[in-house]
Amino acid sequence: MDKQLDLLQGTLDMLILKAVSLGPLHGYGILLRIQQISKDRLEIQQGSLYPALYRLEHQGWIASAWGESENNRKAKYYRLTAAGKRRLQAEAENWNRMADVIAGILGTKPEEV
Amino acid sequence: MTLWSRVRSWSKAIFQRTRMESEMEAELRFHIETFADDLVRRGFSREEALRRARIEFGGIERVKEEGREARGAQLLNELMQDLRYGARILRKSPGFTAVAVLTLALGIGANTAIFSVVNAVLLSPLPYANADRLAMVKEILPNMSAEPFNVSGPDIAQIHKLNHVFEAVGGFRVWTYELSGKSEPQRVTADRITSNLFDVLGVQPLAGRVFAQQEEQFGHQVVILSYGLWQRQFGGQQNILGQTINLDRKPYTIVGVMPQSFVFPLPGMLQGVSADLWVPLGLSKEELADFGDNFSYSAVGRLKPGIQQGQVNADLQLVAQGVLETYKQWARDANEPLGDFRLGMVSTPLSDEVTGPLRPMLLLLLGAVAFVLLIACVNVANLLMMRSMGRRKEVAVRLAIGAGRFRLLRQFLAESMLLAFAGGGLGLALAVWFKDAMVARIPSNIPQFHAIELDGRVLLFSFLLVTVVGLAFSALPTLWASRTDFNPSLQESGRGNSQGPDHRRMRAIFVIVEVALSVMLLVGAGLLVRSFQRVLNINPGFRPEHILTASIDLPPDEYSRDERVTSFYKQLMDKLRETPGIAAAGGSTDLPLLGGWTHAFTVEGYQPPPGPALSLCNHSVIYGDYLQTMGIPLLYGRYFTEQDAPKSTHVLIVSESLAKKYWPGQDPLGKRLKWGPPESTDPWLTVVGVVGDVKQGPLETAADAHTYEPYAQLGVPFSLRIAVRGEGDPAGLTADVRAAVWSLDRQLALGSVRTMDQIISRSTASRRFVMTLLGSFAALALVLAAIGIYAVLAYSVTRRTHELGVRMALGARSADVLRLVLGHGLRVTAIGIALGVIGALGLTRFLQSLLYEVQPTDPATFAVVLLLMASVSFAASYLPARRAMRVDPMVALRYE
Repeated sequence: MDKQLDLLQGTLDMLILKAVSLGPLHGYGILLRIQQISKDRLEIQQGSLYPALYRLEHQGWIASAWGESENNRKAKYYRLTAAGKRRLQAEAENWNRMADVIAGILGTKPEEV
Repeated sequence: MTLWSRVRSWSKAIFQRTRMESEMEAELRFHIETFADDLVRRGFSREEALRRARIEFGGIERVKEEGREARGAQLLNELMQDLRYGARILRKSPGFTAVAVLTLALGIGANTAIFSVVNAVLLSPLPYANADRLAMVKEILPNMSAEPFNVSGPDIAQIHKLNHVFEAVGGFRVWTYELSGKSEPQRVTADRITSNLFDVLGVQPLAGRVFAQQEEQFGHQVVILSYGLWQRQFGGQQNILGQTINLDRKPYTIVGVMPQSFVFPLPGMLQGVSADLWVPLGLSKEELADFGDNFSYSAVGRLKPGIQQGQVNADLQLVAQGVLETYKQWARDANEPLGDFRLGMVSTPLSDEVTGPLRPMLLLLLGAVAFVLLIACVNVANLLMMRSMGRRKEVAVRLAIGAGRFRLLRQFLAESMLLAFAGGGLGLALAVWFKDAMVARIPSNIPQFHAIELDGRVLLFSFLLVTVVGLAFSALPTLWASRTDFNPSLQESGRGNSQGPDHRRMRAIFVIVEVALSVMLLVGAGLLVRSFQRVLNINPGFRPEHILTASIDLPPDEYSRDERVTSFYKQLMDKLRETPGIAAAGGSTDLPLLGGWTHAFTVEGYQPPPGPALSLCNHSVIYGDYLQTMGIPLLYGRYFTEQDAPKSTHVLIVSESLAKKYWPGQDPLGKRLKWGPPESTDPWLTVVGVVGDVKQGPLETAADAHTYEPYAQLGVPFSLRIAVRGEGDPAGLTADVRAAVWSLDRQLALGSVRTMDQIISRSTASRRFVMTLLGSFAALALVLAAIGIYAVLAYSVTRRTHELGVRMALGARSADVLRLVLGHGLRVTAIGIALGVIGALGLTRFLQSLLYEVQPTDPATFAVVLLLMASVSFAASYLPARRAMRVDPMVALRYE
């Protein structure tokens, strides 16, 4: 297994939006989903997940409803809202642009300056 | 993000705290348990799995706290932060804060106080059950007057019986009685009422019962006490029912006591003061025969469910026809000619009768205080703007380091709200004081059936006012903040002659608005003051100084023999005349300014112009030297003398206007007239004298034609208003008059002891009240406007110190600088004055009903206001201008 990375500041929101964009999930499910799609390379502080969820819900990007979980418990499920979908798109574009720029900078060789 | 989701989230955070908490608890527990399930599947024991899951999860309480914050519960925190910051800012500039808060407090205090009066008088229902279902019925005699009269006594029962729109119609007549036996004899005001009246009003007695229907017939001696009389006269005794009191020296059994809150009648219902007690209407034989005459009864009806106030009059026309039929029947039975008698009826909502006449006055005052508040707000807005100029750097820094405009707006909002609520709080304290001062001076024609107080509705009004003011103030700086490019603010060194033209124009607009509003208020107040002066200068037709009046009503049973009455009055007049300090004494059926009886009459040989109008005049029957005592001047002929005895020619004295109207260019002496229409069988009366016109109604109304007849030729007066003329303060004669009366009858009570000066000042009280209030508001407005002008110019001089220094260094003389600053101030105020005059020309016509012999466009008033405003503006501009003139160029150029 690769070494786990600490989560970059401000990216948790984006990951959560991405995770719920694939289908409604409860909090624990989101955690598992992120670990799963990152192939366990990202470490998410479990405690930091919920404040982030509440913040996103407060901002209207995700919405929640109570439902039945796979282990027959009552669980709160989150899904992406229309506004959240737009937000995810914008953040993703931003991220990609930024990643390109940073990669470009880091890839610069002495003779290119 | 959507605003809606935030609001929902906030409201959840605030209103559904417990539910939110338990949901969060459940959600986190679910997480840990599911996590533990997974761990169990990987081979841990249940217990160990839970322990690990908890450790992995981290501190649950910290997560919850962060969750709460993220949820928008932090809004409250931020709000507190904003408020604390705002309070700190306000504390840091105590001068600004004090002026702003005080200014707002004056405006809000005045508004709250006036609104408390409007609330109690205009907005609250009359103090009866479902008062909006009550209506007054009046009768119209188209032959006599287009103005409705009250009703004739026997008609009340007819209206009750014949109508289809009222559940019931009751009525009453205002009366007075001598209350004696238990203590000092006194006169009490009473109403003779129909037995159903209290049911119509929807009131229950506090103790005992209302009158039974059979008690409404003549001769039932039962009485219901008011709460006030019960307390005052009987110390609130519990076993009062069944006891008797003496009214006009006849025993009446107490059958009920009304509750404390019961006030009846109200102003506008025949009489303004609430009665002390109520007795059954009990129309006597003579009164029953008074159909179509003596309209001194009042009728009140309660509408049937489903009937609207507007639907009543059609039915009343039928009722009037029915009543007229009964008149015809009675006239035939009594063998009296009815002539061309016509009758109409009209109904008005009771609340219109009571509060309708006060509406224009109270709305005027409400409008005036609104102006004052507007001026106060403009002043504070101006202060805020000046301060926001000083804070541009702060704002720019905060924007630069990432404060959102929304966050800034909230900061401004918190500050403005703090300011507004501080002003509102102090304003409420002022309002209590204003209100008490006002209530102490409130004229008696403003009914206080509800105590005027700062109740919930008034507080809500002030709260809304304060909120609107606070919102408006926070909107201002945000407007500027969002329009300003802040980069220059960061760069500039802090010397601010770079204030944009926008702000200068804004300040000029502030001054213009203030001046214009003040001018309008001043013109309004000025017009009222001039009207009041005119009213005070009205010649009432008599000389009011040194006159004391009182009323005497002899109990009819005790004084059943004419000789007894005659000798009582003769002895009384003799005693009064002999009293040292009394120069003249007399009596009359009614006194000037207090209204009286209107009689129809026919002049011998006079051809009335075509049309239905009868000749009408005020009529007084007088006793002794009444005309001389009142100082009513004799113009021709003679006063009455001892020779005018029952057997000699029946004589009459008429007023000047009557003589001029009916005998123009002729000698009125010896002319004759009689009471009633031309077909009446009354005897002719011969004119022996003409006296000056006297105002019988309010001072402002024209003096009506008036006639005087001597009691000596008519029989005996049970009731008489007596008047004595002394030399010094007439109130000092009270004891003498009382002594004279009691020497003849120790049980007799003296009623309504008043000097004529008091009667005059009471008749002008409501005018004085409005004038004083509007005058105070205008003065307040003037002071606020002066402060505003001064502040704006002083500020602009400070801002321009550098520029002025440059000008002076380049050779401008101090006179030039003076002219520059003064010119700026006066130009702006001139525009304000011009707009104010235009506004006043448009608005003063709403004052029309409150003016007397002054046009709403009275040039003199406008001129005085113009001059006043101009001089105040000049003074307010001159002070800063002089400071500008003294600017030392060397200092100014260095001034950073």
